[in-house]
Amino acid sequence: MKLVNITPTFIAIFPAIAILPIIKQLIQDLHIGGVETLLRFFSAAINPSLDQIVLSNALNGLIITIATAFLAWFFSIFIGTILGILSSNIFWEIFTNNSYIGIAIRRLLSIPRAIHEVVWGLLLLQILGLHPLVAIIAIVIPYSSIIARVIANQLDSLDNKSLVAINQTGADSASAFITSLIPPLFPLFATYAGYRLECALRGATLLGVFGLGGIGTELQLSLQSLEFNELWSSLWILGSFMFFLEQILSYIRHANFSINLKEKDVFFIFIIISLLIAIDLISLKALDIDLFTKIELHQLKLPTIIELKTAFIQLPLLKLIFTTLLLSVLSAGIAIGIPPLGLMIWPGKIGGQVQSFIWLFFRLIPPPLTALLLLLCCEPSISLAALALGISNIGVMGRLLKDNLSQQNNSLFNAVKSVGAIDQISWLYGKLSPQSKSYLAFSAYRTDVLLRETALVGAVGGIGLGWQLQESLSSFNWAEVAVITFTFITLTLIGESLSDKTQEYWIKGTRDLSLNCSLQT
Amino acid sequence: MTELLELSKIEIKKGNHYRLRNIELSIHSGEKIALLGKSGSGKSTLISVANGSLKPSKGIVKWQGRNLRSLSRKKKISIGTLWQDLRLIEELNVGQNINAGTLGKRNLFWALRNLLGTIESRECISCLKAAGLPKEMLTAKISQLSGGQRQRVAIARLLRQQAKLILADEPLSNLDPKLSQEIVSLLLYQKTKYSISIPKTYLISLHYPELINHFSRVIGLKNGEKVLDRSTNNLNPKDLDWLYA
Repeated sequence: MKLVNITPTFIAIFPAIAILPIIKQLIQDLHIGGVETLLRFFSAAINPSLDQIVLSNALNGLIITIATAFLAWFFSIFIGTILGILSSNIFWEIFTNNSYIGIAIRRLLSIPRAIHEVVWGLLLLQILGLHPLVAIIAIVIPYSSIIARVIANQLDSLDNKSLVAINQTGADSASAFITSLIPPLFPLFATYAGYRLECALRGATLLGVFGLGGIGTELQLSLQSLEFNELWSSLWILGSFMFFLEQILSYIRHANFSINLKEKDVFFIFIIISLLIAIDLISLKALDIDLFTKIELHQLKLPTIIELKTAFIQLPLLKLIFTTLLLSVLSAGIAIGIPPLGLMIWPGKIGGQVQSFIWLFFRLIPPPLTALLLLLCCEPSISLAALALGISNIGVMGRLLKDNLSQQNNSLFNAVKSVGAIDQISWLYGKLSPQSKSYLAFSAYRTDVLLRETALVGAVGGIGLGWQLQESLSSFNWAEVAVITFTFITLTLIGESLSDKTQEYWIKGTRDLSLNCSLQT
Repeated sequence: MTELLELSKIEIKKGNHYRLRNIELSIHSGEKIALLGKSGSGKSTLISVANGSLKPSKGIVKWQGRNLRSLSRKKKISIGTLWQDLRLIEELNVGQNINAGTLGKRNLFWALRNLLGTIESRECISCLKAAGLPKEMLTAKISQLSGGQRQRVAIARLLRQQAKLILADEPLSNLDPKLSQEIVSLLLYQKTKYSISIPKTYLISLHYPELINHFSRVIGLKNGEKVLDRSTNNLNPKDLDWLYA
């Protein structure tokens, strides 16, 4: 009889073990002098700069970031929806009776999806120069293809009985498609589009950290000059806005507005979005940012076959791939394992609220800035990069877990508690267990995202493909850039396929799969 | 007989509606009590109050003379509950679920080890067999079990807990007559089985009164109030007709 049965509950917590080698390495690399600076950073949290110029810069930065994120989000949704319909099997089956074109478009779209928006930003910066549109395009490219994938999957998973019924009434293919398959997409928009807006805001902040303007640039400049009070002014302003946005989006997600969407509601949403776009453009113009400035294309010297071959031989690709994977595994370990471990250790209401607050800040500070903060007191290393990347993802995973736990009833928890179990055990068996499979399915998706995000912290850790890409970009070695980008794409596509399989495995037999989880895959 | 559980002036109110009102109840060691009443009469609420998972708006629940709320967790183990929806953990196998009955006596590390595989399998198998299931079922997944098998796993978990008082919320409502009879005979007539000692004090809620002859005392609830409390021998059939009218 096989007595070993490793439960998903255990698997959800176990990855937290990755924190041990990371802490060991960081303690070895610690230089005490920097700890004082780090403490100064934390104490500045309660004493942010209230200087009018600092506040006005932070606010202007936030306006630029919001405008960039909103415009990028809008175009991503628009383009992504069209691409999503065009890449679905069902669309081509209706119009041409075979789905090959849909499959081909889907495969093609996996390439822009495989590259992180920051990498797109850095590449576009070389081609378009410092044009205000760079940040927007850098977000639109990967996001439209991610949205296209979600929409295509959703369309193909819909029950096509209504389509068959409408077809039988003699309706033409186009009206049959619009009538039967578009309305079921509305609930998807209400939840997924909101989530994407949050992602776009984080993406736009990140691009700022890499020099593309907005509040990210303000954060980066304050940190580089060790002006922690100014840094906290920007962080509190950004944090307040993020919190406000999260609350609104959470309200929309739970209110199920989309179920009985009427024509006038669609018109109302259209007016609001048009107004917001107009406000964005006016605010950017007021800050002397003109999106309609003429784009001047910089000629790129395309690498020859020989140059590509040389780059391929000279680059330590195996080592770069290995360190990239190690970085992903370590950061995924802490991002997945720490939130359930933390909630298990401190499961009460107060514990939950304190941890939620910490997670909000973890989500807020972009990973490259966390890495720079850690660099104040530690040597650059793979552990430092993994911790920086893991910390911001702990924020994302923690919020998701808590959101799903809050929708779960307490019956199992009460049952375990009634046998006299301590709170920690009651939480583990009664709360985490029923959520564990959907949490692990989402973790698989997050690991896939993390692999892409390694490009963000590679530079500070001096490791991985991300670091090499930035090195090659700054030395204009286009052959190396091409080889690394190709390797990155291959790696992320393999990662994506593995993540899909893992998600399928966990989703199978899940009793209460959260909407978040199914939609974000 | 020693008094085990005492419910005094219990009241549960939701808005203007009383789910339980002025409940006075003592349960003594060795009693086998049938809790009767129509759907919505307050049977499940009373069981939740008695096991401490629901805090009453008014009144006090005492276990062996001490307030249930301030009872140490080691003492809470003495009250075992067989929930109407069973509350088995689908993500754990049968053995791990049975072990969940002893979590009140364990520390966090033991609980974590149980999530890696069935530990103390000999004890689990005894409980499994006492509940009428073959030992091979120890590693089965909960999702693969039939309704009756799930019911028995929940009983095995209860036996593993080694409680002094069993509170059961309509444990027989979804079972066929043969299975109901088997479970009644296991819970109410056996003292030990496969070296597992079977508790001797019960409060079992029943939807219909067919099986009350197996019990020593009958309590009837109507609209959240205790309207009947009599030994089975002194029960008048008219009382039951009135209770279900």
